[in-house]
Amino acid sequence: MNKPSTRQAILVYLLLAVVLIVFLTPIYLVASSSVKPAPIMFQKPPAFFFTPTWEHYHVLFTERPFLKFIGNSLIVALGSTAISLVFGSLAAYAISRIRHRRMNDVAFWILSLRMFPPITVVVPYYIIFKTAGLLDTPLALIIVYSTANIPLVVWLMKGFFDEVPSALEEAAMVDGYGIIETFWRVTLPLAAPGLAVSAVFCFIFSWNEFLFALMLTGSRAQTATVAVMSFWSSDAVQWGRIMAGSFIILIPGVVFVLTCQRWLVRGLTMGSVK
Amino acid sequence: MSSIALEKVVKRYGAFEIVHGIDLAIDKGEFVVLLGPSGCGKTTTLRMVAGLEDVSDGKLSIGGRVVNDVAPKDRGVAMVFQNYALYPHMTVRQNMEFALRPLKLAPGEVDRRVRETAAILGLDALLARKPSALSGGQRQRVAMGRAMVRTPEVFLFDEPLSNLDAKLRTQVRWEIGKLHKRLGTTILYVTHDQVEAMTLADKIVIMRDGHVEQVGSPEDVYTRPANTFVATFIGSPAMNLVPARLMGGKLQAEAFTLPLPDRFAGRTAEGQAVLIGTRPSDVTLTAADNPGALRATVEVTEYLGDDALLDLRVGLHEMIAQVPAANRPGNDASVHVTFNAAGLHLFDAATGGTLLS
Ligand SMILES: Nc1ncnc2c1ncn2[C@@H]1O[C@H](COP(=O)(O)OP(=O)(O)OP(=O)(O)O)[C@@H](O)[C@H]1O
Ligand SMILES: [Mg+2]
Repeated sequence: MNKPSTRQAILVYLLLAVVLIVFLTPIYLVASSSVKPAPIMFQKPPAFFFTPTWEHYHVLFTERPFLKFIGNSLIVALGSTAISLVFGSLAAYAISRIRHRRMNDVAFWILSLRMFPPITVVVPYYIIFKTAGLLDTPLALIIVYSTANIPLVVWLMKGFFDEVPSALEEAAMVDGYGIIETFWRVTLPLAAPGLAVSAVFCFIFSWNEFLFALMLTGSRAQTATVAVMSFWSSDAVQWGRIMAGSFIILIPGVVFVLTCQRWLVRGLTMGSVK
Repeated sequence: MSSIALEKVVKRYGAFEIVHGIDLAIDKGEFVVLLGPSGCGKTTTLRMVAGLEDVSDGKLSIGGRVVNDVAPKDRGVAMVFQNYALYPHMTVRQNMEFALRPLKLAPGEVDRRVRETAAILGLDALLARKPSALSGGQRQRVAMGRAMVRTPEVFLFDEPLSNLDAKLRTQVRWEIGKLHKRLGTTILYVTHDQVEAMTLADKIVIMRDGHVEQVGSPEDVYTRPANTFVATFIGSPAMNLVPARLMGGKLQAEAFTLPLPDRFAGRTAEGQAVLIGTRPSDVTLTAADNPGALRATVEVTEYLGDDALLDLRVGLHEMIAQVPAANRPGNDASVHVTFNAAGLHLFDAATGGTLLS
């Protein structure tokens, strides 16, 4: 490609600016509203300059056990991410390597698990977990989220495993490794970017999920998303607290993605086989 | 005891039989080359020895032990892959150490072996690099290094030079030869390059369509080809074949008659259809009044430097002659040629087999 001209550069930055505004405005609103005193919350035009207050955050952590809800969210999100990655990548490896004419059907069947609208299974899940005595436990959410995440991981990781040249695995086997060690030491490290992508998707999905968390948890296992909405009651909507809670919820997702980012590098298999 | 032994080894993919019952015995320390045209089953055979493909039928032993159902990791073989198959997430040093880890050596021994192998292959300066930062020739040497550090019973090579340019190929070929002399390890080496085969091999196994056509030293297969396939496959340009019939103790071809050399006496039958084989270097230009001189027309002359190749037409027969480039005839020249009787081969026209067996 030629060196972009100044005009092209300006155009690119202009487009970037538009995109940034579209994406960052809501986040700005959340952040600013979370520290805005309640009386000026809905002032028109919005108040850009004001003395920030920590009141909403204070209430969040003193009047409610918000830390516990965040803890619940973390347990559920990390737990289901871990389970989904383990089972999803093992299944994906099998589907990628086993030559069988029905293998595509299996892969499609796994994907189909994600096709129904979640709302249709809320009640069945409720009945199942009630019978099993798992209502209002993190385990219930971990199970539900894993069933949703595993198909995604299978499909993502299958693509990454397909890219790992089988010659590398054969080399490892001749070098004295069994199939499990070969998977662990050669195939999986080379599919690390896929693992990182999968982890990000699983974590974000589980962290943000609302519907199942609302229906399947009570006071003990409540997650942060549900807890935030509890400030929305029939007689009053406490916007400041909702915004403060929302802002806190934003943070772990960003941290997690940034942590995974160093694995999201491409071209790991470069130079292995000619 | 053979180092590697194949007895009636068959490979099938579903209903397709790719390798049809190969018998082969390789002695300890021998350098054996599997040679044949593309798709003849060389790689498949090698991969069966490595354990990367199941043996459909027959018996495969390494070091006297039947290994049909032994996993690759327990066969004591090391393999150099055609595309090198270096682990891209490991440095050169780690690639070599990785191959040593299953041997559970003391750390000092691992380090010593890596250093020693790196020194032999000139990889000292590259140990900290990843494969992506190496040239093709360097990758090739790392692949050999990874196989060598393990000091295996058997080395398997699958066209290790095919990704190198012509000059590097010659150089690495030479290094492989030296390496074999130094280590004395049994080597099974696949190639379709006959120069590699002729220069490296103690024993060449010539394959076609999943069959072994001939096993012998480079000299055997060149000077005593078992059939027309080997005769035309080995040697460049290929051996000329002219159909003829044995009549009254003479070889009667369409356009000429040759006396039957003594060594074929008693090996032919009157009236038998044969193929006369002559290497291009055994077709020589001669004076017209020489007894046995045959009239020929030069269709094309190809200049090679020291030699020239002449595309000749002798009566109805086309053949190639390799002659000194000096005083070579031009295109369309009319010349006279004779065949070197000592270099004459005869094959049965029906079976293609040599009459000298
Ligand atoms: N998985 C497979 N299924 C069916 N046929 C196969 C399979 N693998 C190889 N073949 C066939 O087996 C034959 C031998 O293949 P092989 O790779 O051993 O050839 P080769 O002698 O190594 O050739 P080349 O010199 O081109 O590498 C070929 O005709 C190939 O099409
Ligand atoms: Mg091959």
